[in-house]
Amino acid sequence: MFGIRLFFIGLIATAIAGGGFYVFKLQKDNAILKANAIKMESAIADQKTLIENQKKDFEEILEANKKMNELVSVLKKDLEDLDKRFNKKNRDVGKLAIAKTKSIERITNGASALATRCIEIASGSPLTEKEINATKKSEINTECPSIANPNYIPY
Amino acid sequence: MQWIIITSENADEVFKRLEEKGIDPVLWGLTDKDFELLAKNFARIRNQLMVTNNLLDKYKEYYETEDKEDGER
Repeated sequence: MFGIRLFFIGLIATAIAGGGFYVFKLQKDNAILKANAIKMESAIADQKTLIENQKKDFEEILEANKKMNELVSVLKKDLEDLDKRFNKKNRDVGKLAIAKTKSIERITNGASALATRCIEIASGSPLTEKEINATKKSEINTECPSIANPNYIPY
Repeated sequence: MQWIIITSENADEVFKRLEEKGIDPVLWGLTDKDFELLAKNFARIRNQLMVTNNLLDKYKEYYETEDKEDGER
């Protein structure tokens, strides 16, 4: 009888100790889970910031591309205008130069000086007040108005 | 740099003028078509320069702003 009682007491004591250990283990697991949850939240916040930055970068790249395309199209227009100066209405510059040698020489030298200024501007030279304020055809750099005269609107 | 237009009619006068100015009477010549080609190539180089500089400015703006922001953190 005493043996059975001792067996049950032992069983109950083991059950209580086991329960205690289990609760202790649960608390420990809970602490680990909490720490993991905090790390996860921090990682999610970092990822959100990263995605926002990438989105911002992407928008800036699109905007820069748009501006670059605008620049390319105005530069293309300058090149087309140059072609027109040589070939407008079947113009033959060679024949013109024979007929009006002095005039064409003067025009060529004037255009050459303007084209040299265009290279300076394209290389980073700042625009002069005169170039910035030019709005009339007679005031502009006819070789590259798109980059030399920002306030000139072709008419 | 000075461009001189030389035709069969004014050639003698041009060389005489050069000699009078003490310049060797010799010229590097271009036909009208080659001159047109040179002018257009010059414009193309200028355009490419403009595009490349613009691109460099954008990279500079992007990276220097980023460095500045990193420094503030």
